[in-house]
Amino acid sequence: MGYLRQVRFPPPKAEREASCIAVYEKELDYLFETLQRLGSSPREIEDLAHEVFLVMLRNWSDLDLSRPFRPYLFAIAFRVVCAHRRRRRREVPYAYLDTADQATGPEESLQFKESTRLLMAALDTVPLPRRAVVVMHDLDGFSIVEVAARLSLTRFGAYARLRKARKELASALRRLLREGVRP
Amino acid sequence: MKLDGQVIEREVDAVLEQGRRIQPAPDVVRARLLARARAAVAASAASPNAFPALSTPTVWRGRRIAVAASALLVFAAAAAAAALHSWVTRTPEIPPTPLRVPEPPAARASPPSLPAVEPPQPASSTRIQRPHRSIAPQESYAAELQLLQRAQSEYASHDFTNALVLVAEHGRRFPNGRLAEEREALRVRSLARAGRGDEARRALASFANRFPHSAFLPRLQEAARSAEE
Repeated sequence: MGYLRQVRFPPPKAEREASCIAVYEKELDYLFETLQRLGSSPREIEDLAHEVFLVMLRNWSDLDLSRPFRPYLFAIAFRVVCAHRRRRRREVPYAYLDTADQATGPEESLQFKESTRLLMAALDTVPLPRRAVVVMHDLDGFSIVEVAARLSLTRFGAYARLRKARKELASALRRLLREGVRP
Repeated sequence: MKLDGQVIEREVDAVLEQGRRIQPAPDVVRARLLARARAAVAASAASPNAFPALSTPTVWRGRRIAVAASALLVFAAAAAAAALHSWVTRTPEIPPTPLRVPEPPAARASPPSLPAVEPPQPASSTRIQRPHRSIAPQESYAAELQLLQRAQSEYASHDFTNALVLVAEHGRRFPNGRLAEEREALRVRSLARAGRGDEARRALASFANRFPHSAFLPRLQEAARSAEE
């Protein structure tokens, strides 16, 4: 009967859900910022954030909360954004949903004299798989081991993507700055 | 030129540094997202099957064992049936003569200790009753989607009459389909664009009645209004 001591009983459902909402609330700013950094447009961002929450809720009982939560959250957000992009490419949107993307593109962002806008405009030029790596490592400050684990990459692959993404990001920023935008 | 390059490098660093700060989400958005999250939790509590993955790994392990056990049982039953079938149809046990050499009826009637085995019928003569295969949900959804996409492309090419015909067909085939809301929305818009303001208004009223919380409603109201003007 000794093995029974190893059985972990999950907390009651209501308690689990309350803790899930509490963590979601705490990390909402980070999630919002991450979705923006991954290139989600303002009108999609709420739906994507909610989708991330649903994934969190679904897997909440299996989560190891003793480990840092943000890398896990980033990984979900990245996958949700990727899935959303695939869906958007595949589906035929309806006429009233088929409006042009209202997100500020690189050109539009030039009129904003804010460094965040500038950074977002520069990030828009980096393809999503590499953007995720550079955001996670250079902006969020996660270690490359964590980045590789969360994005299901080898460490070498993560380094390669990071190197290329940094080059792309820096050259985009330089170009935007040369064109006259100052943060 | 070099000095300019250095300035730019410094500014690049400054932008990256500032980009590391996490800006708070707007309060309105935050409140909306939290309300949606709470509603999702309430919905999951109301219907426990809404989030099936909430079950614990122990439960999953139990389910896997049950599935494996039932698969084993099915396999064992199939093997037993096959063995029984081969035993019944085994030729050495059955006198081979009745099939090859026709005997007089008297001789045939005398020793029937074993049940008579009917000769195998040719496959073409037997009518195998196959169970009717129901349409899988994915197939049904694909058919629904395809039909609605056709209607949508007719609408996009300003052929509103054809769009309405396809919408009606969709309504007939999938009255409570997964794309019913989209179909009804397309009906309202097609009627509105076809200049049939009254019908558009009626369709809109029925849409609002059926889908009172639909995200399409404001647009549809706008479309119906513009049709009336």
